[in-house]
Amino acid sequence: MGKNSKKKNKVILPPQLPPEVDDDEVVVSDEDVEFFRGNEGHARALARLDRKSIDSYVTRVAHHDDDEVERLYEERERRRKAAEALRPKSNKDEDLEVDPVDALPVKTLQGELVYNNAKKPRFDEISNGPESKSKDKGADAKQATQRGEQKARSKETKGDGRLPNVQPQIEAPNGKLQSKVLEEVEEELSAEELFEKKKAQLAEIGMSMLEDPESNIRSLNDMLNICNDKDQKVVKLGLTSLLAVFRDIIPSYRIRQLTEKELTVEVSKDVKKMRYYEYTLLRSYKAYLQKLISLEKQPNFYNVAVRCMCTLLDTAPHFNFRESILASVARNLSSPDDAVRSLFVNEGKHRGEATIEAVRLIADHVKLNDCHLHPDSIGVFLSLRFDEDIGKDDSEEEKGRSKKKKQRQNQEVPKQLPVSDKKKAKQELISKAREEVDAELRAVSFTLDAKERRRIQKETLSALFETYFRILKHTLSTSNSSHYIIIRGNAINVSTDGSHPLLAPCLEGLGKFSHLIDLDFMGELIACLKKLSGHTDHHSQILHDNTLSVSERLQCCIVAYKVWRSNLEALNVDLQDFFVQLFNLILEYRPDRDRGEVLADALKTLLWEGKHQDMIRAAAFIKRLATFALSFGSAEALSALITLKHLLQKNSKCRNMLENDSGGGSMSCLVAKYDPEAKDPYLSGALASVLWELSLLQKHYDSSVSSMASNILSMANLNPTQNPVPISIANPLEAYRDLSMERELSKPANKVPPLNCKKKRRSKDFVALSPTVLQGSDFLADGDELKEKLQNHFAVLRGISENERLRAELNHTLSSINLYKEYKKQKKRVKSKAGKKKVARA
Amino acid sequence: MAKKLGKKARKFARKNLQSVAKRNRKQRSQFVRRPRRGGSGRGDERAGDGDEEMPQRAGDNLMNNGGDVASLVNGLEFPEDESELNSDISDSDDYLSEDSECLYYSDNEGDNAVNDCFVQDGLDGENDQMNIEIKKQKKNLNKLMDKDPEFANYLEKWRSESYRSKEDSDDDDMDSVDNGADSSDTNPPNDKILTRKTINEWCQLVAKEPKSPSLRSLLNAYRDACRFGVHSKSPSVQRIQSTEVFYQIITFVLSEADNIFRALLDISDDVNKGKIMNLRSAKKWKTIEPLVKSYLQNSLDLLSQLTDNQILAFVLTRLRASAVLFSAYPSTSRRLLKILIRLWASGDHNLSLSSFLMIREVASLLPECLDLCLNKSFNTYLASSKLVNDGNIKHIDFLTDCLVELYSLDVQKSCESATNSIGQLNAILRQASKTKEKEELRKVDSWQYINSVNLWVRFLCCNYKDYNMHPLLSSVVQILRGVAHLFPGTRYLPLRLRLVQMLNELSSCSQMFFPIPSLLFDCLEFRDTSQKEHGQKTKVNFSSLLKVPKNLLKSRDFHEECILSAIDALSAHFAQWCYHVSFPEVATIPLILLKRLYEQSTIESLRRPIKRLIDQVDENRNIVERKRDGVSFSPNDTTSIESFIHDLQID
Repeated sequence: MGKNSKKKNKVILPPQLPPEVDDDEVVVSDEDVEFFRGNEGHARALARLDRKSIDSYVTRVAHHDDDEVERLYEERERRRKAAEALRPKSNKDEDLEVDPVDALPVKTLQGELVYNNAKKPRFDEISNGPESKSKDKGADAKQATQRGEQKARSKETKGDGRLPNVQPQIEAPNGKLQSKVLEEVEEELSAEELFEKKKAQLAEIGMSMLEDPESNIRSLNDMLNICNDKDQKVVKLGLTSLLAVFRDIIPSYRIRQLTEKELTVEVSKDVKKMRYYEYTLLRSYKAYLQKLISLEKQPNFYNVAVRCMCTLLDTAPHFNFRESILASVARNLSSPDDAVRSLFVNEGKHRGEATIEAVRLIADHVKLNDCHLHPDSIGVFLSLRFDEDIGKDDSEEEKGRSKKKKQRQNQEVPKQLPVSDKKKAKQELISKAREEVDAELRAVSFTLDAKERRRIQKETLSALFETYFRILKHTLSTSNSSHYIIIRGNAINVSTDGSHPLLAPCLEGLGKFSHLIDLDFMGELIACLKKLSGHTDHHSQILHDNTLSVSERLQCCIVAYKVWRSNLEALNVDLQDFFVQLFNLILEYRPDRDRGEVLADALKTLLWEGKHQDMIRAAAFIKRLATFALSFGSAEALSALITLKHLLQKNSKCRNMLENDSGGGSMSCLVAKYDPEAKDPYLSGALASVLWELSLLQKHYDSSVSSMASNILSMANLNPTQNPVPISIANPLEAYRDLSMERELSKPANKVPPLNCKKKRRSKDFVALSPTVLQGSDFLADGDELKEKLQNHFAVLRGISENERLRAELNHTLSSINLYKEYKKQKKRVKSKAGKKKVARA
Repeated sequence: MAKKLGKKARKFARKNLQSVAKRNRKQRSQFVRRPRRGGSGRGDERAGDGDEEMPQRAGDNLMNNGGDVASLVNGLEFPEDESELNSDISDSDDYLSEDSECLYYSDNEGDNAVNDCFVQDGLDGENDQMNIEIKKQKKNLNKLMDKDPEFANYLEKWRSESYRSKEDSDDDDMDSVDNGADSSDTNPPNDKILTRKTINEWCQLVAKEPKSPSLRSLLNAYRDACRFGVHSKSPSVQRIQSTEVFYQIITFVLSEADNIFRALLDISDDVNKGKIMNLRSAKKWKTIEPLVKSYLQNSLDLLSQLTDNQILAFVLTRLRASAVLFSAYPSTSRRLLKILIRLWASGDHNLSLSSFLMIREVASLLPECLDLCLNKSFNTYLASSKLVNDGNIKHIDFLTDCLVELYSLDVQKSCESATNSIGQLNAILRQASKTKEKEELRKVDSWQYINSVNLWVRFLCCNYKDYNMHPLLSSVVQILRGVAHLFPGTRYLPLRLRLVQMLNELSSCSQMFFPIPSLLFDCLEFRDTSQKEHGQKTKVNFSSLLKVPKNLLKSRDFHEECILSAIDALSAHFAQWCYHVSFPEVATIPLILLKRLYEQSTIESLRRPIKRLIDQVDENRNIVERKRDGVSFSPNDTTSIESFIHDLQID
């Protein structure tokens, strides 16, 4: 379009002009002329400024090659003719010619230093120098916006008319002298000042943009050009300030491309202005995004570019070009920004369309990279929100509504009976009108109708689960592809890091959205999880080497349990295997390697929240948890104890384990003797054991653990229906988090209260040093040795003092000899003086 | 002119004295640092400065040690009021006026001087050369003077001029401390040469009758002996010309002074400070006080000059007897403490021990010095425990014990500083865990940090039984757990094992249960080590490491050391609870791991100790199980459990 070229030509065009108007056909509106007349004072002031700026301008160009200038002019002309062909990107070549030197101040013939603070508008100024210059000055002085507008208008009136007058001055004869001065000044200015200047320039433009975006919309181009600077710092600054500007000025609607038809229709001036504004905004925005996308590939700019895009996505998910932003953001999900997350959370901003797009993009991304991605790239799914009630709700609502309607109708019908036909017709009219209004409202308002929303949600869900299942399958295939015979007991492999980076967030997501999984998948999913959790046939001697870590396997159990629980009625799955897994995994847990939270979560999900355990299994878990608490840190121990207590409360028969009846637990079962290492809870014989651990746990250094242990022990004296006073209502997971080291370290340090000592000990006793060490204390060297040493000491001291004395004497003598030379010189001088005197006398 | 020359030389000497003294001290420190080879430290005079990384002595300013560790030290150490320290020593020359009764014997000692020369020192050769040089130059000068008599005049004039100007400038910056040798002294010290016979005679007199005036002369002689070398140009110091005399004076005074003063002051062996204070008002104190003061101050001079560990230890041992006398002179005792702490931190064990005993004596006798003493020694401890290597582990261990002793002198007071210090340690830990920055983490992962934690752990262990220290215990345990949490991974296993050791200590002193195994699982994990490097046996010593160097991480030695140390720690844990009813359960999970490790391990040297541990634990488990099958009490019956433990212990 015509406007495109203007940017390259650097001819400042009136922003109000519609795009169809050619550059040269500037129409001076009556209004403007009137304004100019009315404010002659301003005009004069401008004129005064003009000379200076022109001078400065001339000098600046003068030190450049004149031919170059001419060439540039020619080029400009050519471009103007070939206006249509030019694209915003292509002005790079010209920008390269913009020498940073141009930002230097220029010394005029009058001896004034003129700072040229807009580097880019150099060419603008050639054409309509005075105006733009004065505008810059205006910005400098932080003039009111109104003033700026005035100038912009005066520029409009004068702009092209002045052009021929200005050009001849370029060949002004003072070039040579100026250039010399210039060179000096150039050298003086350091790169730092340049940087400062650019910074200031950016700030100015940004400020003016924010003050009045409509009239200053073209400054976006300037800012974009700054982003092409060689200095990386400047580029980064430019990008971020553009970001700030865009964030502020992006409208809350999407800008639509105008149709041919619309373009041909005559529109009012305001609309034209508006269209121009939107057009420029959109174009710059596009250029900016392209810039960002290209910079994202450079490691230096990666962070800035990604942050900019994320912020843009965050603030303007509804705006044009969302797709391209999303595409590149999806690729960089592992960056710390939460753009996609906020996208998922604030669906209102973009009506959920962006969500489905993002989910699809991520799904593709996962597929492309064969599940080897940063865990965060999947983690964002966790913040997805699905309105469970959309489907049901709406249908119910509809039903309800229809029911209500019917009811109402039913109610109304009898009432209506007496009403005349006229009234009825009136009512119908009213309802018709209401429906119309409703339809319009829906069309205008942002909300989608339920159907559309349901469709989007469905697609999102399918993309989401597609991703999840892909990851599960991938994990399964890689972990099963390498089975070999190993020694029994080494079912876990220590080095699991990095092999399945996506599994943990995937399992977490499955757990969260377990209620949304289609029932058809359910059986397969459970089987898959069973395999992943490390379950094997008991009869086979060969175990598959399960490459999953303990936490991942625990997570599998949790997910399976959650899936089962949330689809309780529909599912006919035996979860026994998962409990067996958990039973064994408790022993495999290692505090630093595995995530304690997962274990606590598993305890909470499977045991604490679990509805009913049969007695033998519960007893096995109780015993194992008690043993577990003895060997692990206080956080793990407490969560185990809480679970244990809960199990004891639920299964009152297990309380027999707290008491030592003759011959162990009274409930004898199949296995008479307890086997602490049993793999199967049913075969462990835990019911026959006694919870001796609790007596030792009472001595635990952590007061919460020890009090919990005593609390549990007190259950023994209560009858089965009674429960002890609960000392904490936390579930195992909360308890774990509360006691975990990170939490403990982040808590404010508790002040150690002043100590009161119980007794005083006679302070003469030694407490720390052993008597054998102290025996050597009364050490006395035997006389001879001591004597020799003392004498040696004396001799050394004497030697040193003697040395000092001698050195002093030597120095003294030497200085005396040196003095002789001095003496001689003096003597000579005296002699020569005397000689001179003699001569003089003679 | 000769007189002026002498004066000038004296001035020169005085100017350079400080440097000489400094050099002496430096040499001393080098002697101390080096494990002594050869009989005397004389040969080591030019010991290289290469071993800078050795722990710095107390005298050095801690602030100088740049880097984060210094900031850690500054964070951890207690402030000391240095300003007070130097204010008081400016007392004038403590020359004691002598009685004319005291006779000097100018006996036949001429041969002795010759005899003396058998003690050669490193400077003798240089001195001889210089003598020759001086003679040569003097000759030259004389020649010049002969040639040009006018020059002699000129020279004379110049000398007097330059001397005067120097005098003027010197008068301004003369340090007030050592004006002892100046002619302005109203009580000119006697410069009669001390002979062996004189000393012998005096010694006998004093031994017979402590009140005899010879004591004064003898103490003066002692003073000169102690200052020998420092004030070498003052005539009084030059009185001592033979090594024999020097030895005699020093040994006699040191060994007898305490008895003599006690006899003079009429005090018994176990006087305390209050008594000395009471004495101060007594009449006889007035007469004896200068003698005591002279003795103590000169002994300090001697201490700061001596370089040989054995002599130092000897002097300290002798001086310890009269520690109580220091209570009359707070400033002197501060100076004493400063010297003592420096010596305490030095590497020699005997010297360290005797200076520690002296410190303890002083600290317990003078309660007002205790604070200073504790702060200073804590800071010194921090500074010297900055680096730990195989060589100084024992020494640092000893220092820790000493410090615990000192802190146990007044537990009530020490608890405050312990609380402060533990609070600081806690704050550093929290900061590190919050920011997870390398700098912050390195503050925790430093010897200074670990050693100060260790100090407080020992302090708690020693005093837990007698005092109620539970709050301190729990915050120390929190620190230990926090550090273990902050540094997971195999590289930090040595650090972790140290923490486990401390936990074991705490557990045994407090009779609380700590789940030690949870910290040891990493060690018991089987690791495939590269089998190839059999040739180079690098001994991995965990006690001098916090972090394993990367090249050792995969080595077999490291693996072995890991498992062996873990077995040590585990068996300490088991030993503590081996009589408890629930020992079988305590052992369950570790036993599973040990068995697994035993099956996997192929290294025979490891399999044996593992097997032994397994067998012993199994055996013990069976005993306890059998025993408890027979009892009828329940887990919540605490008293029966205690008696059960007691019974088992007897069996």
